[in-house]
Amino acid sequence: MSSPLDFLRLFADRLREAGIRFAITSGMACVHYGLAQNTKDSDWIIRPEDLAKLRDLFAQRETEGWRISYRSIFGAPLDQAYLGHGWTSHLSVWSGGDSMENKVDIFGQPPRVQASEIVADAEGWADRHVVAQMKRTDRDKDWPFVDGLGLQLRLAGEARSLLHIRDARRLREAWVEASPESRRNMALRRPLLAMLETVSDDLDLERLLAVERAIWENVNRERYGAHERVWKEFYRRWRLANDFIWPVEGPFCGQHDHLLGAARIHRLAEDPLGDAGREALLRAGLQRAARLLNAPEKEINLVLPPIKEMLP
Amino acid sequence: MNPSPEYPEWYYEHLERLFGEERAAWARLPREEREKEIRWYHAHFNTPDDLSEWPAELDGGRDRP
Repeated sequence: MSSPLDFLRLFADRLREAGIRFAITSGMACVHYGLAQNTKDSDWIIRPEDLAKLRDLFAQRETEGWRISYRSIFGAPLDQAYLGHGWTSHLSVWSGGDSMENKVDIFGQPPRVQASEIVADAEGWADRHVVAQMKRTDRDKDWPFVDGLGLQLRLAGEARSLLHIRDARRLREAWVEASPESRRNMALRRPLLAMLETVSDDLDLERLLAVERAIWENVNRERYGAHERVWKEFYRRWRLANDFIWPVEGPFCGQHDHLLGAARIHRLAEDPLGDAGREALLRAGLQRAARLLNAPEKEINLVLPPIKEMLP
Repeated sequence: MNPSPEYPEWYYEHLERLFGEERAAWARLPREEREKEIRWYHAHFNTPDDLSEWPAELDGGRDRP
């Protein structure tokens, strides 16, 4: 029985052989970077235009003993139209008769990551900046990784460390070390940085860091909620259909056709963020953050990241 | 960027504050040693799926942890 780490390498090799562009991200990337210990699942960013090749790869591997199955949780068909708009597909993969179940999550356009910044190293690991952006969720457990990855970027001399460091003292040190050009560029992406020049009390800085985090968390909550709402509506319509059946057995291509067909017939929206409107989602997230922290609009605006950073 | 760089002491002390003593001690190990430990964890413990069964109110799944 292979371990999750063996599967990771095997799957990466197969993707490479098939000419599929990928980056391994999230939990396993945090394991790789020495920050996380306890994940078995793997998250992969695959170029949306390569997803057809990935489905072909699955079909080929099934003839060699692999088994691939959609997991029956909230997620979209493994299709460019969906994953290109921020949906995720959740799969289980068995890489042979004695293989354990490998839970594999596929992103096409990962949240908070600009497509031009998706970079992987020679082994296929997403770079620390990409992983840190993805970890800005509404879950407490993810935020220490943002800080840890930021510190690693700083120790590597990368200006983008300024986007991620969350410890007040370390952030000040990184700011002092950075070149004027880096400070200017990074402050455009993270307005809180500009406050480092005027806010000298660390407690005041920690307050701003807390407001900034609340913005990211609550905007993410709205982003996730937009997908959740349309999925619920779709699933309710689908369940009412006479021929409803899910999950289905059999080769992955059959499962995929079944799910994609249902998504078309029962109207799973391809682009929930576009349909809801990014500005509206941002406003709702900001209102929630302001109420939770009792933060006035002026304070929110001091640290508010550009919308293209939060909802690209 | 070097995937397994050596970090200064303050970095590990910071990790200890973020994640606790045990994780920081593990992070100090060389990559091969870290991987050996991870393999042991994977072989002996089942970690829960990071995602909920769906949809909670329709199929009785769990909420996102």
